[in-house]
Formats: sequence, structure tokens, C-alpha cells
Amino acid sequence: MKRRNFLKQSALASTAMMIPAFLNDISFGQLMARRAGKVLVVVQFSGGNDGLNTIVPYQNDLYYQNRPNLAIPKTEVLKVSDELGFNPALQALQGLYDEGVMSIVNSVGYPNPDRSHFRSMDIWHTASESTEYLNSGWLGRYLDSNCTGCASPYQAIELDDTLSLALKGEKRRGFAMSDPAQLKRTTDNKILQAVGKTPSSAHHEENVAYLYKTLVDTQSSADYLFEKSKVYRSTVAYPQSEFAKDLKMISQLITADTDTRIYYASLTGFDTHANQRNRQERLLQQYAEAMKVFVQDLKQNNLLNDVLIMTFSEFGRRVKQNASSGTDHGTANNLFLMGGNLKKAGFFNGPADLKNLDDGDLKYQVDFRDVYTTVLNRWLDAPAPQILGQSFKGLELV
Amino acid sequence: MEKIKHLYWRAGFGLSPTEWQQKKDWPISKAIDELFAQARQAQVSLPVAEMGLPEDMEKKRENREMFEQMLRDEKRRIFEYNVNWVNRMANPKESALLERMSFFWHGHFACKPDFGKLGIQYLNTLRKHALGNFRDMVLAIAQDPAMIRYLNNQQNRKEKPNENFARELMELFTLGRGNYTEKDIKEAARAFTGWSSDLRGDYIFRPMWHDYGSKTFFGKTGTYDGKDIINIILEKPETAQFIVRKIYRHFVNDQVDETLVSALSKQFYQSGYDIGKLMQSIFSSDWFYAAKNMGNRIKSPIEFTAGLMRSVELKFDQPMGMLFIQRALGQILFNPPNVAGWPGGKIWIDNSTLMLRLNLPGYLFNSTEFSLRTKGEFEDEGREKGNRRLSNTLNLQPLSSSIKGNSSSEIATELAKYLLLTPTALPIENYTKELPASDRESIIRQLTMRLMTLPEYQMC
Repeated sequence: MKRRNFLKQSALASTAMMIPAFLNDISFGQLMARRAGKVLVVVQFSGGNDGLNTIVPYQNDLYYQNRPNLAIPKTEVLKVSDELGFNPALQALQGLYDEGVMSIVNSVGYPNPDRSHFRSMDIWHTASESTEYLNSGWLGRYLDSNCTGCASPYQAIELDDTLSLALKGEKRRGFAMSDPAQLKRTTDNKILQAVGKTPSSAHHEENVAYLYKTLVDTQSSADYLFEKSKVYRSTVAYPQSEFAKDLKMISQLITADTDTRIYYASLTGFDTHANQRNRQERLLQQYAEAMKVFVQDLKQNNLLNDVLIMTFSEFGRRVKQNASSGTDHGTANNLFLMGGNLKKAGFFNGPADLKNLDDGDLKYQVDFRDVYTTVLNRWLDAPAPQILGQSFKGLELV
Repeated sequence: MEKIKHLYWRAGFGLSPTEWQQKKDWPISKAIDELFAQARQAQVSLPVAEMGLPEDMEKKRENREMFEQMLRDEKRRIFEYNVNWVNRMANPKESALLERMSFFWHGHFACKPDFGKLGIQYLNTLRKHALGNFRDMVLAIAQDPAMIRYLNNQQNRKEKPNENFARELMELFTLGRGNYTEKDIKEAARAFTGWSSDLRGDYIFRPMWHDYGSKTFFGKTGTYDGKDIINIILEKPETAQFIVRKIYRHFVNDQVDETLVSALSKQFYQSGYDIGKLMQSIFSSDWFYAAKNMGNRIKSPIEFTAGLMRSVELKFDQPMGMLFIQRALGQILFNPPNVAGWPGGKIWIDNSTLMLRLNLPGYLFNSTEFSLRTKGEFEDEGREKGNRRLSNTLNLQPLSSSIKGNSSSEIATELAKYLLLTPTALPIENYTKELPASDRESIIRQLTMRLMTLPEYQMC
């Protein structure tokens, strides 16, 4: 069945369907809310993915010298350019690369890199300087920026049960949900159902009013998202991993025209200090196979031009392998973009410079905030300098 | 009565039912005296366990598995100290004020100790000075091995100064942003060179690494060391203002009354940075009990958990249950998000944390199984399983005997007086409908759970 028909049917279905009684005062219209604008999907590799064994500089002797028993042998590399190739575990992505729906930016990082997971992840989440501590994330501040639809509580959804700093703004927050049915169960509490009906005029204290508003928003969002999650069932077969399930849910929500512009998902376990190869490749394979199906699913519904997928990790790893056939925390890394609207498919810039290192670590060539700037300005139609607190030039990415 | 409740929720973690019954009609001055007396009598120094063979660390480092096992053991010890701390916060026999003050300072001098011994030493530093002199406290923190490691001061050497500690000292611990220059940071960093920690986890001054040269700091020149730098920083009234403002926001109101803060700062400065005196003065003032300063604060996850435990004598069968709550609600002791501490206020609340806070009393009272996965550690592979049950015991006996009344609406009224610090949105009868209980014990149980489920219960 075509997407349009799905939508038509679901619209009819929702009208006819029983609307939970307590929703009456929240507005029936909300269930009909539709997306206004393009979609950004952020994928986070937690733990620091080893970029050099992901996108392999298979012609570079320094790479093989630094990693005597960890380098991917030339014969195994999936060669996609004269200098660079994919880790064999990324085979599923090769098709996307060939179709021109994938763009790889090398050597992405920031000045004075921090090698602590927490701190570096915070820096990526808040888009701060490495000497600066911010309490709000870049996507949260996007929600704060009065963008169209940003007042809706589910404008940005994280596929998880807790919310990342990236999605926490000064005034507004993104929405954490690992599964709509389970989310709905958390709002099923009878006491809370009754409490949610308290008229808002009953609260005088600002913080109490804020708690009540968050409660009511969560209850109505749970209903909306639960309904939306049933509108479209993917017809392509996703792998069984948790990550693939998250992508499937995202695809179903996008296809159902859910009023959400940002989705956030993560894949964890990249902290490969020891016996890296198997572990990293298992994760990369999970990632690649899920992404392949996800992109195919979106394409089939003519949605790939409306979606931009950005994959990042808090840092790359050191150039030299350690004594345990693993790698320790490093700095600059590659970042992936996927979608139907890329300005420069393939490699956006040249490979990482393995000669000119900073104490054994890669020097960054691209500030990640230039990537954010482009995503905010061109994809989300939002004022990047205001959201990031300073001006970056941006890049010809989308 | 309202005032007593307010005082104990701000200077401690609320009152147990027995304390409530005993103290609710006390004059405020008596309660304040008791809080301070308890703090003076408390055992300040907690026993320090030796470090998990740190001398062997280099050897262990060569053996990855041994090394990782050691790190896991140390992490477990830190977690044990975390659980013990929350238990003390919930225990009426401990000094509530001392626990509360050290909790506040943990957020101020935020630090993430990575070894058990470092964690307990750091906590002892906070406890020792929690109500003492701020000058002594800053100096003790500058020489605290956990902080030295956390802010890289063991890498701060004459040849290659590391500015991390000096920067945070001024930006977050004393003066606040905008009251110093980059040059001041560079010069201060030189003064702290050689302030280090050894492999046993003790403070050590390494003369070889120290820069004995002349430094120019805030326009003064001398061969300063770290202690001189701290003294110069504390000569500046901005430091008193910065600390008082932070204390005001934590203990009084997030919305700062500038006149009050300015007057308190002068007092604090003139007292030579006497923290105990400052707190006494805050708790004794009339404005502390003004309506706009009561019941307006969103409990932090630790305050929420410790307070709940205290009210119903809640005990977790598995200490992991407590860690799960801290993780899911976003406040893990000994594990602040960064050196700036926990931001607090509305930032605690998003759809997920609010629903867990509101559902938690039900999960605990009924031992319900529910599904929620937390983000876990960066080292973890894959995501944890979401389904869990927070097995626990609670004892409602003390609550039941301290609450008067027989009808459900009488009981609800009395319970609300004890449990809530802000009026309910609707008249109390709205919360007593359709109670699935008839005997007094079950009515109390059901109503306690209901009132704890209200958003109002999140306030203190």
C-alpha cells in the first residue's frame, strides 16, 4: 500500500476512533498534528568509535606501522576510493555510498580536545568550547529558538528512556521514548490520569505549574505517539538488533507524518581498549545493516529527500594501537551524513593526516560546530549563531 | 509547623514521622540549635579504607584484565560509599545538617573520584569543613588527592603548567566568571605547580615540580604559592558574593533577592568566611520563612530519594535499586556531570524523569515490575535490560501512629500536612475518592502513595 493511502486511512481511522476521555480538554486537533519541515536523525556512537578502522587509509604505510596487529589488511578493506576503504563489517553501506546518499567528513573535532568520554560527549552535546560548561544542548536550544512547531513536546524524540543533554534546552526539552506502548503504560497510572485533569488555573507556584504542564504534555504525547506508531508498518525486514528496532520505529513515525523533526538514537560499546577487532566490527555491522534497511525504507516511501542522518562519536581513538590489541581514547574522527539531499556525496574532504600528529593523536581539520551550523541553518531553518552562541562558517554539506 | 517542616527540608532531608510528631510544634530557634548541636557531635571523619593496591598499579596496567578488574572493584567501593551516604541522609540518628551541607559542597566542589580511598577522603574533606571556615575548605580542596587528579593538577609542573585547577578554582569555586583574566589563571597555575598526589592516594608537595619564581596575580607581585593565591582570591569581596549567592539559590530560592544576598555577603566576608555562622543567620531570619521561599524548590533526585526513605523507612533489598534511581533521575553521588556540578531546578525535569518520579511511589509500594533502561556506562556493550522490580521493604508503622484521624479525609489532611510542602492543587477530598481500602492501615498506605504521586510531592 502506498504511503498516501496509509495516511488517508489512518486519518479516517483516528477520526472514527475512540478518543480517550481525558484528552477532551487537550484538543483533539493535536492528534492530527503533522510535520512542518525536514527531519534530522542523529545517531550517536557512544564510547569513542575508532574512525581509522572504520574508514581505513589502506594505502598509508603509517597506518599499518602504527597498528601491527590491529590494522585491517589491505585485502579485506572494501575499497571505495584510491586512498580510503570501508571496514569489511560496513559492507551493507557500500551500496549507499555507490548510490550517492552517503557523505563522509574526515578529521572532525574541536580545539583542545578532551579525552574523557563524559566531558567530550558533553562538548559535542552542548557545542561548547572545551573550557566551558553549558547546561543545555544544541538541539535543546534549537527547541528554545521559537522554531515552527517547537512548542510541541515531541518535536525532538530520543529513542531511549532517558534524555540526553543534547536535547535539553534552557526552556524546552526533547522527549524520551524507547517504545510508544511502554510510554503509554507509564501514563496509565490511575492517580496520574486523575491528576492530569486538574485545571491549570489551580497552580499558582511557577515550578508546580511547570510539573503539571510536563505531566499533561507527556500524557497527551503518549497518546499521540502511540496512535502514530500504529499508522504505518514497515514492509521491509529490519535486523533484530535493538538499534534496528529504534530505526524502524523512527521510520514508521516519519512515514506516519508525525509532527517531529528530530530523532536521536544511539549505539553503545565502542570503548575498545582491548581486543578491538571483533567487538568494533560487531557494532559496525549492526549499524550498517540497520542503516541500509532504514534508508531503503525511507526511499521506498519517497522520504529520503526529507531526511538527513548524521552519525558521530565523542572522539576517535589514538593512531597507535595499545598492548591489548585495542586502542585508547583519541581525538578527531569521521562523521557520516546520509540522505537524498547531499551536496557532496562520497568523501567530503581528504583522509586524516597520520604524519602530522598532536602527541600521537589526529589533529582536527573540521570543527564539528561547522557541521552543526550547516545542519541548523540549511536543514532545520534555524539561526545557528544564536543557538551555538557564536558564528561558524558552515560547510557545503546539504 | 509549616516553618519546622521547611527548615528540616532545607537544612536536612525532611523529618521522619517520629521526628515530625516530636518536633512539629517546637519553636524554630530550638530546632536550629538542635540541628547545629547534632552536627557538632557527629562523627565527621569516616573510616578510610586503603587503596586497592595502588603501588601495583603500573604492574597491573600491563595486565589489562587485572587492571580492569581493579577499576571495577574501585568503582564498586565508590558505589558503596554512595549508598552509605544516602542511607545517612535518610537516617534520623545522623546529623541531617552535616549531611546536607556536605551534599551542597559536593555539588559546589564537584568531583568524580575514581578510587574508593580518594572518594572517602574527599567526602571527609567536605564534612570537616562543611560548617567551618571557607578559607580552610578551599585550601583543603586544593590539596585533596581526588580533586588534584580530577582537575589534572598532578600534571601541573613548572616546565609545563596545567591550568585546569587554577581555572576552575576561580571560575567555579570562588570568584565566578568575569572576575579574573586569563593572565591571572596562568599565574595562579604556576603557584599550584607541584601540588600533587602519590600512588597511595595521599597529598604530596613535589618541590622539584614547583615554580618558585615571581608571579603577578591581580596586580600584586610575589613568589606566591597556592596558599597565597587562595588568600588573595578571598580578599576579594566578589568571592563572598559568589558563594553566598550559590548558598542562597540552594537553600532559599532560585530567584535571588539581591538586597539580601548583598547584606549576607558582607556579613560572611566580615566573619572571615565562617560558613556555620552564615547558615545560622539564614535559618534564623524571618525572610527564610516568607511564603515565597517555602515549598518552591524542585527536590533534587537525592533529596527526593532520601526524603522518601526517611518518611516510610524505605530500605532497598538490592543497593543497585538506589543506584538505578539516581541514574534514571540524573544525580549520582560521586559522579556529577562535570566540575560545574548539578545545575538543578527545572533542569531535573523532562518527560522521562517526571514520569519516573511520579510513578516511583507506586512501583515501590506495590513492588511493581516496570520497564526503564538507563544509559549505562560508555564501557558497556549494548543496552541493559529494561525490566526491573525495585524490591524493598517499607515500614508505615511510625507514620501510622504519628498521624491522627480515622476517616479517610481526616487522614488525608494530616498526611498532606506531613508529606507536602505546598498546598494541593485541589481540595483534599479529591484525592480520597474510590480508595480500595477500608481499615486504617490500608487507608494510610493508599493515601500516602497517592499523595506521594502528586506533582506537589516533588516540591520542598
